[in-house]
Amino acid sequence: MTMRVTQGMTSRSILQDLDNSRSRLATVQREISSTKRISKPSDDPFGTGRTLQLSGELEGFKQFKSNVDDGTGWVTATEASLSHITETLQRARELLIQGGNDSNGQVAREGIAAEIEALTEAVKQEANVTYDGRFIFAGTETETRPYELGAGDEYAGNEGSIKRVIGTGVELPINVNIKELLGEGNAAGDNKLLDVMRDIATDLRGGTEENAENLRGTDLSRLSDNLDELTRVRAVVGATTNRLTTAGTRIEQLEEASLQQLSQVRDTDMPQAIVEFSTQQTAYETALRSAAQIIQPSLMDFLS
Amino acid sequence: MPVSTFTGLQTSLRGLIAQQEALDTTAHNIANASTQGYSRQEVLLSASRALSIVTGSTEGGSQNAQLGTGVDVNGFARARDKFLDLQYRTQAMRLGGLATRVQGMETIEGALAEPSETGISQELQTYWSAWEGLANNPEDPASRQAVVEAGKALATSLGELNGQLTEAAEVAEAEFQSIAGEGGKVEAMAKEIALLNGSIRSATTSGSEPNDLLDRRDLLLDELSEMGQVSVTENADGTIEVGFGDAATPLVEGTEVNWPQEVVEPKGKLGALLELTRAGGTIESFRTELNAFAESLANSVNAIHTEAGGPAFFSFVAGEGAATLAVAVDAEEVQTAKDGSVGGNDIATAIGALRGGAADRAYASFVTRVGTEMVEAQNGETNAQALLNTVEERRESVSGVSLDEEMTNLTSFQRGYEASARAMSALDEALNVLINRTGRVGL
Repeated sequence: MTMRVTQGMTSRSILQDLDNSRSRLATVQREISSTKRISKPSDDPFGTGRTLQLSGELEGFKQFKSNVDDGTGWVTATEASLSHITETLQRARELLIQGGNDSNGQVAREGIAAEIEALTEAVKQEANVTYDGRFIFAGTETETRPYELGAGDEYAGNEGSIKRVIGTGVELPINVNIKELLGEGNAAGDNKLLDVMRDIATDLRGGTEENAENLRGTDLSRLSDNLDELTRVRAVVGATTNRLTTAGTRIEQLEEASLQQLSQVRDTDMPQAIVEFSTQQTAYETALRSAAQIIQPSLMDFLS
Repeated sequence: MPVSTFTGLQTSLRGLIAQQEALDTTAHNIANASTQGYSRQEVLLSASRALSIVTGSTEGGSQNAQLGTGVDVNGFARARDKFLDLQYRTQAMRLGGLATRVQGMETIEGALAEPSETGISQELQTYWSAWEGLANNPEDPASRQAVVEAGKALATSLGELNGQLTEAAEVAEAEFQSIAGEGGKVEAMAKEIALLNGSIRSATTSGSEPNDLLDRRDLLLDELSEMGQVSVTENADGTIEVGFGDAATPLVEGTEVNWPQEVVEPKGKLGALLELTRAGGTIESFRTELNAFAESLANSVNAIHTEAGGPAFFSFVAGEGAATLAVAVDAEEVQTAKDGSVGGNDIATAIGALRGGAADRAYASFVTRVGTEMVEAQNGETNAQALLNTVEERRESVSGVSLDEEMTNLTSFQRGYEASARAMSALDEALNVLINRTGRVGL
């Protein structure tokens, strides 16, 4: 037996089909206008989870980049300061050799001693350099001046390490322990820079044969040792700069990859969506046209 | 037996009456073509009792023949398939439940506002970034303040989301009461069914078929089955006993209504509302998961923040983490270094490194779960809707009014009526000749 088809059935199924068609059209339309494939979790639950994860990663990369920038600024300031100290020491070395020369009289030596003392203060001044309002050579006591000018040579900072996170789980120390280089002067007798500089000044002023021997012998070799140490530290700082640059590049690559993944998961594939849109639009219009033709006639139109 | 002169008139009269009633029924069908729940009706006709007449004598004796006397109207039947009604109600119950679940889940999904630039996941990222920013500038009071503010924003959003979940549960609870409570929809429908039971019983005992009352009662049962599981037992007097959900006593017994009653698993819309709001139900399980996330976040941050004897960063009440999460420190109390030095950043760095850790994953999996449950409910709804449409289609095919069919019937009954009238006229003319002209030879 054939199924009876009533006007009620026809109009209901037409309405349902139109509703479905319109709702599909609205979905594609929303995907196109928002440019997002996922606008709520139920659009793609796992894609949503992945979107949240990738957005978090991207936010992390942004932060790593800012860490790298900050670290680079810090290390550049360190490098500049150490370079000034090196120049100062080279000048001190020249003066020392000049002062150790027997042809110089005591008056000339006194003059050289005064210059050495001025250079010592200059070195301490360099150690007090700040970056972004912070003392970069004070360990983690960044608001404390490391050395007091015109006073004793005690180091006022600490030996804490300052690190920047430049990748997930990757920490890079960016500060230099200046106490290891400059030391705390004669009071500590630690053979570090300030100790040696103070000894040189003392020997220049002393005027005895022993003083002169010191100037030509131990003082010179101790100053050279400190210069070597400074060069080594500068090499480490240079390596840190390189690591920061490399990390910056790598973070950008990772960021690019994550962005691409995020886009794949979350964004609308435009060409596909637009094709889908016109397909759905055609389907909708066809449904409307056929509905208009089906609903109209009945037997009444033909009975007289 | 001789046949009465006027038998033919009677036969025609019966024909006229039957055709007229058929026309009336057709008109009734057409009038109700758009009435919800209406079943088309048909006139049940049968040939009326024949007259037995003697046709003449033969050698074997007299012979009888049956002379037809026209048509009788036996009743009016409604075209209805009870089996389809049962199927319809089962699907209506499923759809009622799933559609309600989708509605409830939509509220929850909307409250999440994920993925977006304003959701909790974004605030969580902002919070981690604030710590990492502080790690770069531990001396900067503004960076400390930024950490506190980001923490507060995160805590507020979590509180709000938790509040929206609670509200969703309250809305569902209120809807449940408005349906199942005293004076609610279920009771109103039950009362009308009981009233109809009374009217149907009196009609049935007097021997008539109350088609339109039955339609109305069936429609009420359809609507009731959207609310919960309905089971119907028919009685001989035409009344029905209606069981509802897992209620202990039948909802309707004859003309009695037993409501409100306690239901635990009523299925349908009520079942879905209960599933959303009950202890351990959907909303509570979401809140539990949100609390677990809030507490794991607070604990992991606090563990690092208090490492060097500092105060806890977040405070919360255990078991109600999402609702009670709050920032417990001010900007000066924010810890950055284990040694307390002004430029140290190991604590800030360690907290910043929690990004992408357990808390982030817990939140992402929470969002994923809400999405997955929503998709399941939506698929279920689509599926139930399709099944319901199929059953509805078949039922409509049996019971629905087809205007083409009615027009055809209208025409044929109209012609039938005209023909009966013509037959009566023919007999009238014949009788006219018999009565007025017979015996008037030569006049």
